[in-house]
Amino acid sequence: MKKRQMYMRMVTASLLRRRSRMVIALLAIAIGATILSGLVTIYVDVPRQLSQQFRSYGANMIITSSGEGFTQEDVDKAVSLIPKDQLVGVTPYRYDTVRINDRPVMAAAMSMEEAQKTSPFWSVEGRWPSAEKEIMVGESVAETYNLKEGKRVTCTYAPEADKTDKKKESKQEEEDIVPDNFIDFTVTGILSTGGKEEDYVYMGLKDMENLTGSPTVFDICELSVSAESKQLSSYADSITGKSDMMSARLVKRVTESETKVFSKLQSLVLLVTIIVLALTMISVATTMTAVVAERRMEIGLRKALGASNQSIVAEFMGEGLVLGAVGGAVGAVFGFLFAQAVSVNVFNSSITFMPWLLPLTIIASVIVTGIACLLPIRSATDIDPALVLKGE
Amino acid sequence: MFIRMIAKAFIRQWKKMTMIAFTIALGASLATAMLSVMMDVEDKVNQELKAYGANITVVPKEASVVNELYDVGEENVSGSYLSEDELGKIKTIFWAFNIVDYTPFLNVEAKLNDGSPVTVSGTWFNHHMKLPTGEELDAGIASLRSWWEIKDGNWIDEQGKDKKDVAMIGRALAEEEGIGVGDKIRLAGNRNSKQLTVAGIYDAGGEEDDQIFVTLDTAQALGGLEGKVDSIEVSALTTPDNDLARKAAKDPGSLSVAQYETWYCTAYVSSICYQIEEVITDSVASPVRQVADSEGQILEKMKLLMILITFLAMIGAALGISNLVTASVMERSQEIGLMKAIGAHNPAITGLVITEILCTALIGGLIGFFAGQGFAQVIGHTVFGSAISMRPMVIPLVAVLVTVVTLIGCIPAVRMLLNLRPTEVLHGR
Amino acid sequence: MSLLELKNVSKIYGNLHALDHINLKVEKGEWLAIMGPSGSGKSTTMNIIGALDKASEGEVLLDGVDIAKKSARELTNIRRDKIGLIFQQFHLVSYLTAVENVMLAQYYHSVPDEKEAMEALERVGLADRAKHYPSQLSGGEQQRVCVARALINYPEIILADEPTGNLDEANEEIVVELFRKLHEEGTTLVVVTHNPEVAEVAQRTVVLRNGKIDHESINENFTGRIKHITLQ
Repeated sequence: MKKRQMYMRMVTASLLRRRSRMVIALLAIAIGATILSGLVTIYVDVPRQLSQQFRSYGANMIITSSGEGFTQEDVDKAVSLIPKDQLVGVTPYRYDTVRINDRPVMAAAMSMEEAQKTSPFWSVEGRWPSAEKEIMVGESVAETYNLKEGKRVTCTYAPEADKTDKKKESKQEEEDIVPDNFIDFTVTGILSTGGKEEDYVYMGLKDMENLTGSPTVFDICELSVSAESKQLSSYADSITGKSDMMSARLVKRVTESETKVFSKLQSLVLLVTIIVLALTMISVATTMTAVVAERRMEIGLRKALGASNQSIVAEFMGEGLVLGAVGGAVGAVFGFLFAQAVSVNVFNSSITFMPWLLPLTIIASVIVTGIACLLPIRSATDIDPALVLKGE
Repeated sequence: MFIRMIAKAFIRQWKKMTMIAFTIALGASLATAMLSVMMDVEDKVNQELKAYGANITVVPKEASVVNELYDVGEENVSGSYLSEDELGKIKTIFWAFNIVDYTPFLNVEAKLNDGSPVTVSGTWFNHHMKLPTGEELDAGIASLRSWWEIKDGNWIDEQGKDKKDVAMIGRALAEEEGIGVGDKIRLAGNRNSKQLTVAGIYDAGGEEDDQIFVTLDTAQALGGLEGKVDSIEVSALTTPDNDLARKAAKDPGSLSVAQYETWYCTAYVSSICYQIEEVITDSVASPVRQVADSEGQILEKMKLLMILITFLAMIGAALGISNLVTASVMERSQEIGLMKAIGAHNPAITGLVITEILCTALIGGLIGFFAGQGFAQVIGHTVFGSAISMRPMVIPLVAVLVTVVTLIGCIPAVRMLLNLRPTEVLHGR
Repeated sequence: MSLLELKNVSKIYGNLHALDHINLKVEKGEWLAIMGPSGSGKSTTMNIIGALDKASEGEVLLDGVDIAKKSARELTNIRRDKIGLIFQQFHLVSYLTAVENVMLAQYYHSVPDEKEAMEALERVGLADRAKHYPSQLSGGEQQRVCVARALINYPEIILADEPTGNLDEANEEIVVELFRKLHEEGTTLVVVTHNPEVAEVAQRTVVLRNGKIDHESINENFTGRIKHITLQ
């Protein structure tokens, strides 16, 4: 039999036949590795996830028209400058003044699906419009006209006039205008935001086209992009630079605050990760130390049989490293599962698998285990075999 | 004798015991730190989220209807204003402690030197208040508009010397009118006109860039509206909404007495709004959804995240401790075999081992607890720049955790010890 | 030249003279018993002969080489190549089978050879238990595995420390019988014991007392008795 074969046989025998102790050691390492890979995964993935979360503050970039508005095509062109995976929502809005009971009300037309993405904080009593001839009204509009969910309301379009300062025009003037176009809408929901959005009514783009009789030209476009403010402003600059009709700017309230809060949260997770990891690694090391220290007697025997220090270190380290590798691999898998569970529970989205984390976890556990084993083995090889065998 | 044996065990095996104590201390410190941070993270993150500004606006009852929708020639002719005198009351509501900041606004129309109209907002910048409770508070937009970028000059310092007749001008307006810091501008309001010195130019990244901000009394003088304000922005620490809060927000009357109590005594944004309405005459307080809702979501996520990390850390700490305890008890099989051989009964041995380990756990746990508090403070100061407050809850939690975990760690070891046959141990294995 | 010679050997722990100027010679092929009460220096002598420990003073010549001055590393090599150890507590590796425990000695010595290890077990009459773990073996069987382990590398000396201390009479007999066979094959045996029965079968007995050699006795009937027992 070759020497190496015997070596392997001894290492595997020790691992397989000293089951209870090995399970302890393996458990310790696997837990350490789980925590390592789990926390690192979370730490790496948290910025992405959190950044998504911060999108609940709504649009952080606004594109305004410097001329006579812009079309969907312009929007698409502008948006193409931003990577798709960072884009949470793009809602171009078209504003026009319509009349309800002959009183002017600002009407916004947009894609309802997109608006829900860019304004996730909008609280709608009832539901969002989903078909034509459905309308959502702001809370103060609803109060003024005594509108409720399911009620019908007629909007008429008054061309001209309203685009100028509406406060200056008198009621008489308004009545002169013949309502040449009207649509009967069903109110599907009442919007409350606590802001000035409550003063508007909201309808689909198609209805607006029918009402005004003119094709869609947007006045403003809200964008919700999950990117940090530096990147955002570079996107804004490139959008502004590329088109002479559009100028993009950041919603300072959202971007500035996000940068501030976000960095705090990130450093919180980082610090927590570091502390938990450090403590866990030390704890794994002490367990390994205890497991190895238990085998002083065996080390003494091997020395008495003529084993050199190197071969003892080699054998015990061999065991430790196998344990480290196996525990690391197990831990890496469990860590990923843990991170996945956290991500699904906390952020409702799955985590990106990071292949590099697997070797990293295994290497880290092998190193920690190695160091943890080396110290007691070292001190055991220093001892006098005679004393050990005498049973102290 | 029992005590003597335990004492001896400590003295003889101090190395081993130190190691166990050390591991327990590690585990306990981990648990303490994570629990402390977890329990405080909501408040801390909540404070941070205040960067987004006010989450409640208070307006006069009629204003929300009257404003803009009816074509009233001039704003607020009907006289729907809130009274400046009542502002202090906001800090007297049930959840006064959660009111972090608030500021009144009074918007008046005025004309610049060249006749162009401009909206002038009177507000607090860093208004110093002495509350009836004896507390003192600095409130105002200096903190409620944390995202404003001061392009030139400084924030108006209401507590400083030059607090009279100063103004801050929005970037857009300043560029348009060619106004710089230190310039004198003349504002003509409905009633009076005033000469003001420009103290600063700000970039708000929104429509406020076209406005002028002045102190509240300046705006009141311009509009002849002494003692009046037309809205209040309140920044409050709130608990994320749940079903109860949503139900209550619609109509507090629909709640049962018990539900009402719960709702009123929880810092939901709706209950704080309700309480503000109670103290400010003829007012409507409503949550700013953009801030209030998002805040709730982020808070909830962060809390959940921390809970899960804490959970993982606890499992790690628990297994670390019980592992080492198991390993180190097993190591003593020889000694235990001897004790059995000389006639010790199982309960006696179990008692001895467990007492020994628990004593170690006590020492380790104590050290760990204080170390953990230290770690928590490190996190608090590095991340939030303030101390993590110590929750008394942490003490029993950590104590129970350490005890249970240590005992669980003893179980496999004790079982093994009880199954030991003394002959086997003493006559070599 | 003697195989082993202790010249004026002392071992001092603090101010305790565990061994006090001992002079002892062991010839090749000799069977020597060392006796004495507890604390007489038996174990210390055994450790020094076994290259497990170093003498404080004096010379220890093994095959004419002074091992008292060797480094720990060199002592390890000497143990490996020249000495077979048998302990009172057996000291088998609990997670290795009987045959693997024997192979462990081969492993450190040169190259493990399972066939040879099996032959060694056969010699001690344990071929059928080769795949058993120490915990599955009786005390006597465990000690026989130790004997097999000690003789596997054909050492110059087999050193046994209280080899029968943990054994009943039947097993004691079996182990002594094994020693006898080894002796017949020309192996040098040093047996440390305080059991007079075990000591009696040796060719020569050295009795220690307070770290000094108290007296020596030669077993006159040695050959005859062995032959007598062997004949049975």
